[in-house]
Amino acid sequence: MAVAEVRVTLKKGVADPEGRNTLKALELLGFEGIREVRSVKVFEVEMGGRKTEVMKRVEEMCTKLLANPVIHNYSIAIK
Amino acid sequence: MKVSDTRVCVLVIEGTNCEEESYLCFKRLGARPEKVHLKQLTGTDVTSDERRSLSDYQLLVLPGGFSAGDYVRAGAIFAARLRSRLSKDLTEFVREGKPILGICNGFQILVETGLLPAMSGTMSDVPEAVLGTNDSARFECRPTLLKNVNNGNCVFTSRIPIGKISHIPSAHAEGKLMFPVDRAKGIVKELEENDQIVFKYVDSDGRLAGYPWCPNGSTDNIAGVCNRDGNVFGMMPHPERVFFRFTHPDWTRSPDGAGDGRAVFESVLAYISKKM
Amino acid sequence: MSRARRYVPQDVPFELKEINLEEASDDDLLEISRESGTGLSLDEMRRIKDYFAARGRRPTDVELQSIGQAWSEHCCYKSSKVFLREYVFSITNRHVIDRGDAGVMEFDRDHAYALRIESHNHPSAVEPYGGAATGIGGILRDVLCMGARPIALVDPLFFGSLGYPSSRLPEGVKHPKYLLGGVVAGIRDYGNRVGVPTVSGGLWFDDSYVGNCLVNVGCVGIAEKKDVRRNAVKGPGDVLVLVGGRTGRDGIHGVTFASAVLTEESETESRGAVQLGDPIMKEPVMHAVLEANERKLVNGMKDLGGGGLSCVVGEIALAGGCGAEVDLSRVPLKEEGLAPWEIWISESQERMMLSVSPKNLETVLHVFKLWDVPATPVGKVVKEKRVRLFFRDVKVFDLELDFLTAGPEYCRPCEAGEALERRRRERRPKASSRYDRMLLRLLSDSNICNRDWVIRQYDHEVRANTVLKPLQGKTGCWSHGDAAVLKPVEESFRGLAIATASNPFAVNVDPYRGGKACVDEVCRNLAAVGARPHSLTDCLNFGNPEKPERLWQFREAVRGIGEVAKELNLPIPSGNVSFYNESPKGSVLPTPAILGCGLVRDVRKCATSDLKREGNPLYVVGTTSQEMGSSAYYRKTRSYSSRIPNVDIQALKAGLGIVLDGIERGSVVACHDISDGGLAVALAEMCIGGGIGADASLAGLGRMRSDTKLFSESTSRWLVEIRKGKERQLPRNRATSVTKIGHVGGSSLRLTSGKILVDVEVDAMARRFNEPLWKVVG
Repeated sequence: MAVAEVRVTLKKGVADPEGRNTLKALELLGFEGIREVRSVKVFEVEMGGRKTEVMKRVEEMCTKLLANPVIHNYSIAIK
Repeated sequence: MKVSDTRVCVLVIEGTNCEEESYLCFKRLGARPEKVHLKQLTGTDVTSDERRSLSDYQLLVLPGGFSAGDYVRAGAIFAARLRSRLSKDLTEFVREGKPILGICNGFQILVETGLLPAMSGTMSDVPEAVLGTNDSARFECRPTLLKNVNNGNCVFTSRIPIGKISHIPSAHAEGKLMFPVDRAKGIVKELEENDQIVFKYVDSDGRLAGYPWCPNGSTDNIAGVCNRDGNVFGMMPHPERVFFRFTHPDWTRSPDGAGDGRAVFESVLAYISKKM
Repeated sequence: MSRARRYVPQDVPFELKEINLEEASDDDLLEISRESGTGLSLDEMRRIKDYFAARGRRPTDVELQSIGQAWSEHCCYKSSKVFLREYVFSITNRHVIDRGDAGVMEFDRDHAYALRIESHNHPSAVEPYGGAATGIGGILRDVLCMGARPIALVDPLFFGSLGYPSSRLPEGVKHPKYLLGGVVAGIRDYGNRVGVPTVSGGLWFDDSYVGNCLVNVGCVGIAEKKDVRRNAVKGPGDVLVLVGGRTGRDGIHGVTFASAVLTEESETESRGAVQLGDPIMKEPVMHAVLEANERKLVNGMKDLGGGGLSCVVGEIALAGGCGAEVDLSRVPLKEEGLAPWEIWISESQERMMLSVSPKNLETVLHVFKLWDVPATPVGKVVKEKRVRLFFRDVKVFDLELDFLTAGPEYCRPCEAGEALERRRRERRPKASSRYDRMLLRLLSDSNICNRDWVIRQYDHEVRANTVLKPLQGKTGCWSHGDAAVLKPVEESFRGLAIATASNPFAVNVDPYRGGKACVDEVCRNLAAVGARPHSLTDCLNFGNPEKPERLWQFREAVRGIGEVAKELNLPIPSGNVSFYNESPKGSVLPTPAILGCGLVRDVRKCATSDLKREGNPLYVVGTTSQEMGSSAYYRKTRSYSSRIPNVDIQALKAGLGIVLDGIERGSVVACHDISDGGLAVALAEMCIGGGIGADASLAGLGRMRSDTKLFSESTSRWLVEIRKGKERQLPRNRATSVTKIGHVGGSSLRLTSGKILVDVEVDAMARRFNEPLWKVVG
């Protein structure tokens, strides 16, 4: 059984309202000195099969559903 | 084709929740709408009585809501299911000139499916745009004013005069239309040249304005776009919520006349009765 | 007795114990109650001991847990029933169709509406997002199981002040700002996803809520009368079908958690008692349930709420005069290894029980399959009034329903005690010549200022039936409306108005008058849009009823509510009591939250609160008096009075008649009830919504101090704008006064009484009114 961790991040230059508003909320709660907060989405896909095969199929999941190439980068790590 | 023969497929899956009011808009205008579950088109878990085919309908509507919870990304799961099971049917439907309407979540689905903006071809292999999180990072339920900027290409706005400002409310958390950052300007220009931009968010004087007039920070204040042929149309605001004047947010101040959303439904039914 | 002797494990391949009650001393009984987490009292444990002794056997853990659920305050209302019966249950009329999980009232000849409000306080204090979301899920099911389609959500919320210093927060208590954000997000994400508009509610701030915020959620639904169902089986042979989510360990002991005082350890101890909702399970559950019901495939249904299966099976069977046999091994689980008692009392979300005739079973299962919603036959209805449970063919439970559901009922000690002595002498604020700054301060008060930050996060018009929205006014100039109006039936212009009211400040000083004032307010709100008050549902949030003073507050408030409701012939066909709202800091303010429904003959005649047109005359309907107790003005100026505004029933009835008549005739074009902050704030809100000023003289209101005229919160009063030339059409009634005060116009609000009291630009008022929440929680 392999666990693939998919990290979906926003491409450089794409606005990140969730990150920005979280930063604001943290500041309202009294946290100081924060430079930036970035939102990242992580999926863990658990499945059987060889590492290379899993990698290939998870790659396909990313292009078909998990990420939108207009704004997202993604990386896959098999654990 | 007579309006009374026009069959409208209002397509739902779990989490779709504006199907009833969308269905009613067509019913009130005399068409034959039907609420159809995606499984009825794909033939999963249904009896033969319940089975439907997309080709039986003249108009496909993807209503608003939170299909599949909008988990992963708004509309992405519904879109992935459409692409994997109905790609061919959808492409044929569009090529025959039959109209598709996506409202709110439906717009998000059309973009994720690649049916919009579809600047080259009928359905792009990967999404060419995205409806991202609002700049406020919040769900925004508020009245919005939309200016019709389409020069006649879109079959859903033929009854709305160019330049007219319509009161059509928004309610979404992910409505910011975005294109790849490095090419955004060029794409907007191309959309303009193709007459694919339909509605823009404006203030009460008709000018492009920021929040809250534009509730999401959308590129160039775009609220709705159509494909090159004008028969696939998606918009974030909800015309079905202002079919009648008495659901306008400020109707007690001017109670007479029809609701501003009605013209969208009338336009497409007029198109179908003329063309099919 | 040692722990090992108290519990006797049974020789079965799963967890099952018998409880050694026959040898248990009083100390043992209390220890067993504590260890089982049931919170049963010594008297109650003794009753259980006697019952089993008489039958010559020991209870199983499944049975003891089940009794603990059934006899909890939350499930059997043991402390409150005596008062509710006296003051509330007796109000009835021919429009009441049913009093089940939700009340059902007649809407028109062919339709009925269902209404209910309940609390979700303790879970929300521990986990605001999940707690609030779950509350929405539960109230939707209460309405759904009457056969009604949910069409509106309502949520009155009560928090500590947003500026509360973090350093003063007791250990384990979360900051009000965090709680507000979490609760609003929970309601938003759940309510919006299931496609039911959130149309009304309220937001109150007081430091008594710091350790124990109140999250009340209400729901209204609509049904054709022929589709209304009872929460009852039809008869022996019915199949019990469990539909919706799977059952897990989440939400074990939710009801006993709701019936205890929050402690510092609540957070870590109680996580298990907070359930997690799944709106994308609920949405198809609603579709499937409504479809199965409309196709007449369902005999009766009931929501799995507090107490889970243990409460629903007995109640739905007994309501049909029957009993039931259930096979717990058939219940679909989230995880392996749950003991039978855990399955039986789990409060996992998104579940409902349907009672179905065998011939319809297959079709029902097909409908649920289409929506991918699990539906499992788990038992059958039997003639004898007992419930028997089996787990892997072993009988683990066998109780008579008469015993299980006959929860205790208490007449606990109840006296005013120190509450009356605390009423001090009146301390009036210093009179002043101008009140401009005071008006602006009130407009920006957290209990008055614009709630758009919250309201705009909720979809209040999905379903496209919301005719009057919670924010009303000229585009870009929104202000608060008094009630929302829905048009629930496609073929009819008849409207259903929904309003919320609460006044914990008044109830705290004088619970009887405060209770009356709450009903007065909800009626004012309904009438202000043109709706005739028709029914109420209430959520009564109070402290520990075992303290005589708290119970006295409860009784007096209920007496006040019942008295006005009875006079107006307003049934209260459903409601909820939430006791034990106390934290180490003390009790919350006694807080009855009232949801009122009203009927509108034609929604196209409704009125909103925003001023419409320059030159139109302005009137006050109702009488203003020197009753300043608990007013926003007195609280702001740290003044005090124990004189809470009284309700004169005749004046209220007369006022309702005048306002409704005026709106239906079309002579009233704007109307706003006068409540928090008095006439000055009400008129300011009307100006803000209309984006236009007003000029009014208060000299005609009578002889009293100017600040009383401006800020008194006397009941049964409205401000109305009349269409110019239609003034004579405003009816009069000797039981109340109708006073012309001025007219609409200009860009500022000018209030005089001999001399100028207030003269402020509308823009300046709008800024002060709109900004506060955005600044704090933006």
